Amino acid sequence: MIDSILLVDDEDLFHLVFEDACSLLDMTLSLEALSSSDEADRLFKKWFVEGPIEDRPECVFVDLNIVGSSFDGIELIRKINKDYGNGVVIGIISSSDDTQEIEKAQAVGAQFWIIKSDEIEPRLEEFLKDYDGYKDRTSPFKVYK
Amino acid sequence: MIEITEHTRNVLLEVAKKKKIYVEGNILKLLKASKGDKEFEEYLNLCKEKDTASRKKRLSVTKQVQAQNKELAQAAKDNEQLLSDLQDALDEAKEAEKEAQKLKDEAVEDLDIMQKKSQFELIGMIVKIALFVICGVGIITTIMYGIALFSGHDTQIIGSTWSNMFGILLTNAFSIVGTIMGVKYASDKES
Repeated sequence: MIDSILLVDDEDLFHLVFEDACSLLDMTLSLEALSSSDEADRLFKKWFVEGPIEDRPECVFVDLNIVGSSFDGIELIRKINKDYGNGVVIGIISSSDDTQEIEKAQAVGAQFWIIKSDEIEPRLEEFLKDYDGYKDRTSPFKVYK
Repeated sequence: MIEITEHTRNVLLEVAKKKKIYVEGNILKLLKASKGDKEFEEYLNLCKEKDTASRKKRLSVTKQVQAQNKELAQAAKDNEQLLSDLQDALDEAKEAEKEAQKLKDEAVEDLDIMQKKSQFELIGMIVKIALFVICGVGIITTIMYGIALFSGHDTQIIGSTWSNMFGILLTNAFSIVGTIMGVKYASDKES
């Protein structure tokens, strides 16, 4: 089970889907969902600058295009990995499967890419199996189709 | 894991029996029954089953709403595209109408110029022929007057006729030359 998860996605309905899917799969007991990358950026900055760093979530799922935010998911991952000390399992959860975007995400340190669809549970289940590898940084980048 | 007190356990079981209210959510995953407490263990299992069932139901409904939202968003996008296409078609039609009007105006103008040109050409030809006729009459009358003079015939009538005719011809010739010049000027300007 993952200690704590942060979801950054502009679609509120997906927050509910993700929360229920996580609960049914016993993925985590602590899930926080944010609708903007700016908000997530502020939180990570706060944890990194003011602390406590332990308050950071263990795993972060970021949407690729976050409507209403100053920057997209890839930029958020870059900031978290480069500016705020890295140290979290982080990846993209998006309905897009654009190869160029996937490569960009990988380049900034995303560890996985989960493609959103009506059936998200099997992908999350598969992700959960690989999770330990992501945590100790031994699993390679993977796209869950 | 959290092991709850006897009192809380009893209250939870009582509430479930009498009011059918069960613990739900992630806190449920943290609750644990004491060793050998079958009743509370069964209660927790029932709570978990109910929680899973309601989550499954909610997930299914949320997915349906999400799918409907996507369809609506797609329909809105298609409508927008359709409106944009219609606007483009309307703009193109307006542009084509403008172009057709421009071509029509040009054709009417060309036709007008051609009509004027042919009118001017006709007038020019008439004037030239008239000038040739005048010159011809002048030359013939002069020749006849010359013959009468040299052959010693009476020249009184033909002499006055020649001088009158020459005066008239000269006046008309200047008038015709003026007309030719005017026609030529107008033709050059139009073309």
